[in-house]
Amino acid sequence: MNRDEIPPGTLYLLILKTLARFGELHGYEIAESIQQASDDVLQVEEGSLYPALQRMLIKGWVTAEWGVTAGNRRARYYQLTASGRKQLERELSDFERVMGAIARVIQTA
Amino acid sequence: MEWLTELWRRMTMLAHRRQLRAELEEEMRLHIDLRQQQQQERGLLADEARIRARVRFGNMTVLKERSQSAWGWTWLEGLVQDIVYGARAMLRSPGITAMALLSLALGIGANTAIFSLIDAIMLRSLPVRDPGRLFILGDAKDSGISDEFARNDLYAQPVYRQIRKQNQVFSESAAIFSMTNDVYGYVGGRSEHEPMQVQLVTGTYFETLGVRAMLGRVFSERDDDSEGNHPVAVVSYSWWNRRLGRDPDALSQTIRIDKTVYSIVGVAPREFFGTKVGDAPDIWIPLSMSQAVPPHWGGYKDNTAESLYIFGRLKPGVTIEQATTNINLVFQQIFLQLLPTFPEGPHAGDNAATLRRQHVPLTPMAKGISDIRRESSDSLRILMAVVALVLLIACANIANLLLARSTARTRELAVRQALGAGRLRILRQLLTESLVLAMAGGAMGVASAPYLSRLLLRMVFTGPNIVPVDVSLNTGLLLFAFGVTVSTAILFGMVPAIRATRLRLTGALKDGRGSSSGAAKSPLAKALVVSQVALSLVLLVGSALFLRTIVNLYNVDSGFQKDNVLLFHTDESSAGYKPDDARLPVLHREVQERVNALPGIVAASYSSWTFGEGSWNGTVFVQGFDNDKSIDVKHNIVGKDYFAVMGIPLVAGRGFGPEDSTASGIRGVIVSQQMAKTMFPAGSPIGRHYGLGSQKNAGEFQVIGVTGDVKFDSLDEPAEEHTIDYYPLDPGAQYLRDFDVRYSGDPDTISSEVQKTIHAIDRNLPITRVETLDERLTDSLSGQRVMAQLCSFFGLLAVFLSSIGIYGLMSYLVGRRTNEIGVRMALGAEPAHVRRLVMREILVLVAAGIAIGVPVTVEGGRLVTSLLYDLKPTDPFSLFGATALLFAVTMLAGYLPAHRASRVEPAVALRCE
Repeated sequence: MNRDEIPPGTLYLLILKTLARFGELHGYEIAESIQQASDDVLQVEEGSLYPALQRMLIKGWVTAEWGVTAGNRRARYYQLTASGRKQLERELSDFERVMGAIARVIQTA
Repeated sequence: MEWLTELWRRMTMLAHRRQLRAELEEEMRLHIDLRQQQQQERGLLADEARIRARVRFGNMTVLKERSQSAWGWTWLEGLVQDIVYGARAMLRSPGITAMALLSLALGIGANTAIFSLIDAIMLRSLPVRDPGRLFILGDAKDSGISDEFARNDLYAQPVYRQIRKQNQVFSESAAIFSMTNDVYGYVGGRSEHEPMQVQLVTGTYFETLGVRAMLGRVFSERDDDSEGNHPVAVVSYSWWNRRLGRDPDALSQTIRIDKTVYSIVGVAPREFFGTKVGDAPDIWIPLSMSQAVPPHWGGYKDNTAESLYIFGRLKPGVTIEQATTNINLVFQQIFLQLLPTFPEGPHAGDNAATLRRQHVPLTPMAKGISDIRRESSDSLRILMAVVALVLLIACANIANLLLARSTARTRELAVRQALGAGRLRILRQLLTESLVLAMAGGAMGVASAPYLSRLLLRMVFTGPNIVPVDVSLNTGLLLFAFGVTVSTAILFGMVPAIRATRLRLTGALKDGRGSSSGAAKSPLAKALVVSQVALSLVLLVGSALFLRTIVNLYNVDSGFQKDNVLLFHTDESSAGYKPDDARLPVLHREVQERVNALPGIVAASYSSWTFGEGSWNGTVFVQGFDNDKSIDVKHNIVGKDYFAVMGIPLVAGRGFGPEDSTASGIRGVIVSQQMAKTMFPAGSPIGRHYGLGSQKNAGEFQVIGVTGDVKFDSLDEPAEEHTIDYYPLDPGAQYLRDFDVRYSGDPDTISSEVQKTIHAIDRNLPITRVETLDERLTDSLSGQRVMAQLCSFFGLLAVFLSSIGIYGLMSYLVGRRTNEIGVRMALGAEPAHVRRLVMREILVLVAAGIAIGVPVTVEGGRLVTSLLYDLKPTDPFSLFGATALLFAVTMLAGYLPAHRASRVEPAVALRCE
């Protein structure tokens, strides 16, 4: 069970992307999705999602609404906003630029 | 705009933070529950699954805090916490807190009040356009009417016209009458007359100042272009407010003064009080009406009626030097032409010589013309110093109290640091606590400033002479005093905080409240106490000096008997009498005779002056006397019973009799002893002759009697100024303001009887004031009394604050040494010995303070020499008395903690830690 910490600074990107893909999710679902989508490689310290989500709420990238889970419990569901989508694009292009650069460095080596 | 919506979201979160916190917790709990469920489904036991879920989630408390800090309000919550904590800490030591608050409040309040007064009288610029360009000719120190040739301060109306026309340096110039006319007039159709203060000004007055009317118009040159036919008036805002109830229709109103009806053409703006500080006229009337306004000074066309101050506005680009040169040139030309028209002095050619010597200085008028500034500037400056000293003491006190408190908390701070509190966090908390204290005290100071200011004004200007100065609080000054005291609080709150947080923790923890000598550790606190004692001594000696001055003055021999004398003021000019009215002598004679006949009247007499009203001075020409000395003689016109009324003894010769009342022949005069001594040194003055002014009048009067010397205008005037002569009332026709009565019995009955009698003779004659001679004497000391009162108040306040400082410091030191004292007593020290131990420390502090204070006091005393009477600033009685009082009070303040120390139970003290 060797799991990697997610690279610093990419937590927002992961959350944004996950929400873009699935629409409405609550915290636990977001954590699960990230983990599953990465084939259990990326390990979020699950609790740290919540400070991140609070910051994103403040930034206006996501909105939250209370709903009910399949198990009939109250949960807060997060959803991307328009500015969240824009932020996702920005973060994606940043990420790709950085990754490309790293890849080029590795290839020339 | 993005940040704005973000801020909005943050604010919403702040508002709902309680709910948000609950929601966050619910959300997190759900997460852990779901994870646990998942783990159980994978086959773990419930407990194990729960633990696993928690591990994967992380530290919930930290995460919650991090989530909340995302809202960005942590600092605020910390601040609120600190403030609450600070307030609670303040309440834990209510004594110290109350003292600190009181020091702050008084420091700020009293300072602002005094500074506001000083600002109003000395520093504030006139509320006119560009006041820095306004200059007045001469120094405007004298006021009145003069016929001296080529004066450089007072000018005649025609001379003003010429200067205005011929100068090339003023863009506009104006003149105002050097005195105000206090008259009684009727507003509109009202039947009751009321007092009003009239200022005569030239038509260019308002224009030169750049003051526009708030309502209607101000004067123009046309209102002043011919004598006697411009009955118009501009009224002051305050008068419009008081007497017309802000009538918007004021311009249709009229004012009748004597026989002339003036139409109100304008209301001056609110902030404009005139050009003389402390002399706010109700009504401005063009100078062209000077003959019509009582007391009918006139002289509009007279070259020798010099009564105006001239001022002008410098043209742009003209320097003060250029202006002075030009004005002097014009001045010389004008007076050279006027030379033949002026009466010549004692010697021919004097006037020409005077003119050659004469120079006209230009004095800045930005701050207005001010008598009270000149009169009270010394007092105000000293008060300013006094209050500054009190502020210093208050600051020292705050510093001391904060020092003591935070030093006492060294251990608490060390414990908190040991438990992991960040140094910055502790500093922030101490800063907040100091701020809470400072702000609370500051707020009290700001709140009390207006009251203190009003109180002060009432103290400074007592009696009927309410000086209309605008002492609305100056916000800048308030902020200054606030800033000074608050920053003291912060500084001295922080210094120990920084020191405390720099501690080696283990040392402080081990040290505890143990046996370390607290004394050695607080040199700063001790220095503060020493300086407080020194400053208090300065203030105490000051107040002792002023108190002694008052006592000296009150006991000074005035030369007259102040008891059982009533003074009545009448205003004949407002009752329609003309200056040379033939009815005046009749009125005077009748009033004197009928009042003298009343029961309970010992004597009654008119006089042109009684004590403390100013004087009419002039030089006299005495045959065989060196008249070039030009000694000023004070002239008084009195009825034959005046000396009996005032209780002035006749030393030689006789008093006035009927033979002195005839219009023909040489008139008899009575002179004071001082005058007899100076002007008739050889032989008896009885029967000798002299005259007013120049030689040609030399035989005018004959001395018939000599009276004892009296104080004329103030109790502190020196003996050389007692050169006074008295002229008989009859047969002259002149205004007489004072009617003086010596009575026996009840003054109230006498007063109403006399007033009834006067009104029976002339129903319209206003009696403007009734007072006793004793009241007049006391009033004349009001300036000195205020100084003494304020100084005593601040002196005692200083001593009080210093005692508190000593008490606080010693209590604290004794507290720190409880342990040590316990050990000493356990080893057999007597309580008396312990007391001595503590008292010795206090003694050293107080002695050091006094040792520093005495030379400072002696040095500072030089500044007040001019305000003392018959007293040196090094008066040993004051010095010794103040030192003794200070010593006694501070020792008492120190004795309480010393006594407490000596009562320490050894067992308790040893267990104390």
